[in-house]
Amino acid sequence: MAKITFAIGGIHPSDSKISKNCAIEVLPLPQTVYISMAQHLGAPAKPVVAVGDKVKVGQVIAEPGGFISAFVHSSVSGTVKSIAPRKDLAGNCVVPHIEIAVEGDEWMEGIDTTDTLVTAIPEDKAEILAKIKANGVVGLGGATFPAHVKLAPAKPADYLILNGAECEPYLTSDYRIMLERTKEIVIGAAIMQKALGGCKCVIGIEENKPEAIKAMSAAVAELGYKDMEVLSLMKKYPQGGEKQLINAVTGREVPSGKLPADAGCVVQNVATSLAVYEAVQKNKPLITNTLTITGDCLPVEKQHNYLFRIGVPLSFIAEYAGGVPEAAAKIISGGPMMGKAIANLDATTVKGSSSLLYLGEEATKRQTASACIRCGKCAEACPMGLEPFLLKRLATAGDTDGLEANAVQDCIECGCCLYSCPANIPLLDIIRPAKAQVMGIMRARAAAAKAAAEAAKAAAEAKNNENK
Amino acid sequence: MGKLLVSPSPHIHTKVSTATLMRDVVIALLPATIVSIVFYGLGELLVVGVSVASCVLLEYLITKYLLKASNTVCDWSAAVTGLLLALNLPSTTPWWVVFIGAVVAIGVAKLTFGGLGQNVFNPAIAGRVFLLVSFPTYMTHWEAPKGLFGADAVTGATPLGAIKEGLLQGATVPDIMSANGYSYGQMLFANLGGSAGEISAIALLAGFVYLLVRRVIKPHITLSIWGTVALVSLIFWLASPARFTDPAFNLLTGGMILGSCFMATDYVTSPMSIKGGIVFGIGIGFITMMIRYFGSYPEGMSFAILIMNAVVPLLNMWFHQKKYGRK
Amino acid sequence: MSSTIIWTIAIIALLGLVLAVVLYLVAEKFKVEEDPRIDEVEKVMPGANCGGCGFAGCRAFADAAVKAPNLDNNFCPVGGNDVMKKVAAILGYEVKEKAPMVAVVRCNGTCENRPKTNVYDGFASCKVKAALYAGDTGCSFGCLGCGDCVAACQFGAITMDPETGLPVVDEEKCTGCGACSKACPKSVIEVRAKGPRGMRMFVSCVNHDKGPAARKACAAACIGCGICAKTCTHGAITLENNVAYIDYSKCKLCRECEAMCPTGAIHGVNFPKPLDKDAIKARIAERQKKAKEAAEAAKAAEAAAAEPVKKEENNG
Repeated sequence: MAKITFAIGGIHPSDSKISKNCAIEVLPLPQTVYISMAQHLGAPAKPVVAVGDKVKVGQVIAEPGGFISAFVHSSVSGTVKSIAPRKDLAGNCVVPHIEIAVEGDEWMEGIDTTDTLVTAIPEDKAEILAKIKANGVVGLGGATFPAHVKLAPAKPADYLILNGAECEPYLTSDYRIMLERTKEIVIGAAIMQKALGGCKCVIGIEENKPEAIKAMSAAVAELGYKDMEVLSLMKKYPQGGEKQLINAVTGREVPSGKLPADAGCVVQNVATSLAVYEAVQKNKPLITNTLTITGDCLPVEKQHNYLFRIGVPLSFIAEYAGGVPEAAAKIISGGPMMGKAIANLDATTVKGSSSLLYLGEEATKRQTASACIRCGKCAEACPMGLEPFLLKRLATAGDTDGLEANAVQDCIECGCCLYSCPANIPLLDIIRPAKAQVMGIMRARAAAAKAAAEAAKAAAEAKNNENK
Repeated sequence: MGKLLVSPSPHIHTKVSTATLMRDVVIALLPATIVSIVFYGLGELLVVGVSVASCVLLEYLITKYLLKASNTVCDWSAAVTGLLLALNLPSTTPWWVVFIGAVVAIGVAKLTFGGLGQNVFNPAIAGRVFLLVSFPTYMTHWEAPKGLFGADAVTGATPLGAIKEGLLQGATVPDIMSANGYSYGQMLFANLGGSAGEISAIALLAGFVYLLVRRVIKPHITLSIWGTVALVSLIFWLASPARFTDPAFNLLTGGMILGSCFMATDYVTSPMSIKGGIVFGIGIGFITMMIRYFGSYPEGMSFAILIMNAVVPLLNMWFHQKKYGRK
Repeated sequence: MSSTIIWTIAIIALLGLVLAVVLYLVAEKFKVEEDPRIDEVEKVMPGANCGGCGFAGCRAFADAAVKAPNLDNNFCPVGGNDVMKKVAAILGYEVKEKAPMVAVVRCNGTCENRPKTNVYDGFASCKVKAALYAGDTGCSFGCLGCGDCVAACQFGAITMDPETGLPVVDEEKCTGCGACSKACPKSVIEVRAKGPRGMRMFVSCVNHDKGPAARKACAAACIGCGICAKTCTHGAITLENNVAYIDYSKCKLCRECEAMCPTGAIHGVNFPKPLDKDAIKARIAERQKKAKEAAEAAKAAEAAAAEPVKKEENNG
């Protein structure tokens, strides 16, 4: 069978799925949780509780701060202690957090906390979307884009692609839920299919997870969903990137500067699918997620997959799992390719937290950069077909026109270029700010063009009115 | 636990580095080097030794005392240049000529352009061509293989040289071939006169396969050169078998294998994109065949690579790889 | 033989003549009419093309200066008043003298004052580092130490001090063009008036954190206590976002704030004498005592003045 994968670029780092056999454990509750108001892409949420309020598990504590934003719910029951900015994992103290002292574990009425499988899917699209929105579901694949916005595309979708690739090395949380919450995920996918108006659904899983492929295929067959299929993908990073997955599954490409919806596709992570199931079938808001504790310097018996309540400080999880290992040189939230290095372990978990990764010095310490030998390995690795060596040169020279002409704005910051550079040149480090600068220029230009068009229109209307 | 590291993503890195890539090239050249030492004896050992040692030493001294830059000897690139230069010279080359070649290769072709990654021309070829133009006597004075412990040195012409000379005297290609007793088996497995690296096609190809397996290089440039050479020589040979040599002969003799597998595929002086690389290969193959058939030099590989090296910046500007989501 | 030479000379000469005519005609046809004063102004410019004036380079500045109605908005910080006088002479404008400026690093977070909490391992650029996270110390406002300012300086006036990890400005070389200030993602560097004989006061901290947090992050932080603002008799010090700022146009260089600052965040430089804290504190105490006495006296006087009225009231 021909290997199914995306067409351009990609790299093959060792998958290091050391924690793949660690069954999901439930993390106990800490004394205090800190719930961030910026857990999703878009405008931060606005708190709707006050200091001293009593809250229950699943109670809305913040409402969306804009069109692209999401509800935030309390993950514990207790008393609101403070609402103030708190340092995030980068050490920046900007985003307000709601501090809640935990008292018992009292859930809101109407949330089904049993684990009975609910297979009957609501018929009404609007009802589904309303439930997804009300329960604060966001994409859990990394970007945390509000799910209700993504599931209502401007153009009807041909494909719902469920992302079970988990192409980042080390991470196993998606793998574990695919094994342990298989049917829920599949039903969640069927719900999203219904919300999208009945398109085809493809569940893409990389071939290094044969058990997950087997379990998911069996669940699809058992539940008897016709328009749903499990696809085994070749192991290649960044297979789980939205654009790459669309290319691998459908052969289509998302045009530059456009959204997946423009290619008739909606991509959702398997964890999002589980959250959708819980939101729609159980009325349970997104207040838990699965997190992997792993790393090359952590013995396998100390590796875990935890079901955690959102808002639990990372340091609490680290302590519960036996503390930070001596040999850890870097702690990362997320995968080793796109995750964020943690500067402040006291930071709290958010909806999109997927791992606590400890890497030893040998694996992660950057080597001194040497001269570019023009081997072209960065260009070969780039899944967007860009030429990082050229972009780096243009960025160093500050040539924004050249950067735009060479499509720096298409960069998905996957890190393949930096990973594969034999001269250890920090390509992405240099390209990333250049991309931000170019995108800023492009946005300013678009805004100026829009303003000019509107001014012209207004002038024309004024003239028309005069003529009348 | 010391202080934690913080950096932008990605947090892991491939184990492949400039040094491992260059070391792989040296390993890939070893079979050919050993075969040539076995066939040509101590003279060849001296050429290899002087060439590698002087390239490495010159790189070290120039970067340290003239450029006052960081030391780049550890990246093995000077050793690769030294080895390639040695394989491009006859085993009878005097040591001081080899040294001058190294000075041109490292000092002029490589470091004056800014060192590794900045040079426009392949240093080893630049060195060889400089010697070929400056010391034609030494450079065309080929010694027939005599073995490591062989007795008398027999000097002779390379197959390409013999053909060129024969044609000038009015003989036909098949005549010259049979007169000199050339066979394709010989060309493949060594035993024909020539510069050290040209002696065994099989040893060079083994190294080439090693580089492909280790993913150090991609085969597109090499295949494009071979394809062009085969096509061009096939057309001429079919038109006039008496005047022109056949494709197999052209693919197996001279610096063809060494040049196409190791010199044209040099990262620094070849185009970045696949399309550019194919055009680059076509250019090399075509120019080589034109020089071999119509030029005054019997061999054209080095000149062809140098000429195409100069075109690389243009090829890099013209040819880009396919971008995702763009036409 | 000789005819060959003659022909050669003749042809070359003819060719030269033809080409000269062509060149002349082309030059005439494509001639751009430009104000000759632009060239004159450009000649007196420093020629560093640093962009400190806000234009792309010296010629762009000259062009703008010639077209502008006066020189109020165009000033070359590098050339300073000397160059501007020459420009004014060429253009026949008046020039307002401006105080010479210098770049000031408003961070004293040395390795000692501000211990490192993690090790930055990415590309050594403040821009990259600032986009990534708060920095490798507890302070998320101060100098990141990667030297973007050093790279931005065209005059070699900034160097990194390996001991402190902070940039040092060479006042002799600094032209006050502001390139470093623009390059600094944390806005730590400010272009301030150089001051008489180079004497100037500034708050060497930009930390917006509240007192305890700032103090915890850095021993030399401004904790926003406001003592300096209360002490200052010239109204030069304002407190905003938990950090003090000295307005150099109002500062009279009395150094009282420097003496009173509990963390030593206020720096006075180039003063001929070292700061005599006790003397200044005594002076302030004396003044405050007098002020208090005066206030009390005034109060007493007021009370005394009010007394008769009361009595009158009583009487009434």
